[in-house]
Amino acid sequence: MITTVTLNPSIDREYFVEKNEVMKNQFIYNEENLKVYPGGKGLISAINFKELGYGDVQNIGFVGGKQGLFFEKMVQEHNIISNYIHTEREIRNNVKIIGKEPATYTQYNDYTFEVEKEEVDELIIRFKRSISESECILISGSVPVGVDFDIYQRLIKIAKDKGKSVFLQASGEALKLALESEPDVVTPYFKHHKTILDMEMEEKKDYIKAGKKMQEMGAKRVMIPFHCDRILFDKNGDVYQLSPRGYCIINWLGAGDAYNTAYLDYAFKTDKFDFIEANLRGGAAALWIAENRAVYLKERKDYNGCSDRLEVTKLEV
Amino acid sequence: MSLVKDYMIRTMNSVTPDDNIRKAIILMYRSEQSVLPVVDHQNQFVGTIYSNNILKNIIPESFGFLDSSRLFYEVNEAVENLKHVKDENVDKYMARNRDAVKENSDMKKIADIMLNNKESLLFVVNDQGYLRGFIERSNLLHYLLDEVENNYE
Repeated sequence: MITTVTLNPSIDREYFVEKNEVMKNQFIYNEENLKVYPGGKGLISAINFKELGYGDVQNIGFVGGKQGLFFEKMVQEHNIISNYIHTEREIRNNVKIIGKEPATYTQYNDYTFEVEKEEVDELIIRFKRSISESECILISGSVPVGVDFDIYQRLIKIAKDKGKSVFLQASGEALKLALESEPDVVTPYFKHHKTILDMEMEEKKDYIKAGKKMQEMGAKRVMIPFHCDRILFDKNGDVYQLSPRGYCIINWLGAGDAYNTAYLDYAFKTDKFDFIEANLRGGAAALWIAENRAVYLKERKDYNGCSDRLEVTKLEV
Repeated sequence: MSLVKDYMIRTMNSVTPDDNIRKAIILMYRSEQSVLPVVDHQNQFVGTIYSNNILKNIIPESFGFLDSSRLFYEVNEAVENLKHVKDENVDKYMARNRDAVKENSDMKKIADIMLNNKESLLFVVNDQGYLRGFIERSNLLHYLLDEVENNYE
């Protein structure tokens, strides 16, 4: 059983229009131009695992209201085991409008979802009993209003106390606090500000400093997005830079989640784990998503070929 | 051969025997499931809690045959009883040893089990007894319709 965690899910709607103009009514008659899907970083990875052929994959988190039930149905359509705490409040709806000519991307991000303390307590209880079959837990994404920033720290501690490995993708205060519970792999992401551990990220040396700091604070291995590259921090202190070559990005959505999935897929399948190889798999999957309109992975052979265009350089730090 | 896992609903919505009835009721109405699986602290299936069973315990005498003249009295009594029952454990009201089906079972067996036990819903477990979800009559009908359309048309 693979367990992924999504605390702040959303229903994502993408509208593709010829030209996105203010004060102009748009009419969409072709269903190809309207996509509705369940969103949330942990969930996208769960769907990827399922697509790659894993048997039991569950997604743990909150869903709320009638839209939450709709979200849950969409998740079940992917044969993911839904494991949600049903909240009183409705979950989020994100709207994305993509104009073709000129190419525009307008996003309305909904951060109204709110969770009660009693519901958080229930999540902790459910999480404890639901991870008994999993060796590895992937925790990824933002935290809704009403949930304290130490939530990831608490979840990781529960998992580590039960001898599970934890892969964490987080940002801000939740990331900072989570490091204390010593997650095995950490990949921060940038949300509203380009900061990690309250440090501004501008030059490469800032990223290296942040990665090292995260390891000092408890993370065993760290991968930090650096423009289109990644800076990789192995647990023996070595630092690398992973760079794609000759690429054409047409889609960001799902690339990071594909990276996480392919990294873990390699880790699950190999007897002889190699950090660089795991990141090459991750990078190849992210590159494949970025160069296609797909959000989810399909087959390993689709993206394995992309690893030829990845380069790893050891950095002197 | 069609298997239960091809038609089931995958969900871990569940309560434990030491959860209280209030929590079970909240989960029932929010998830729109009037029957919930009861699992232990490792997520192994141990029984079933029915909304019907909770109702029968809070409307003691004439559930199902409510006389309109007594309705107000009965509802008030139910509310009064629920004040006490809501804090009691699921353990007290759950049905134990209910038949769960394996996710790798043949769908043909499901019709038998559902009709013979008069169950509208069966919980699904894996070979080790861990909860995986449920299968209900609409899923059974879905399977039967697929059989008709794939084999006879």
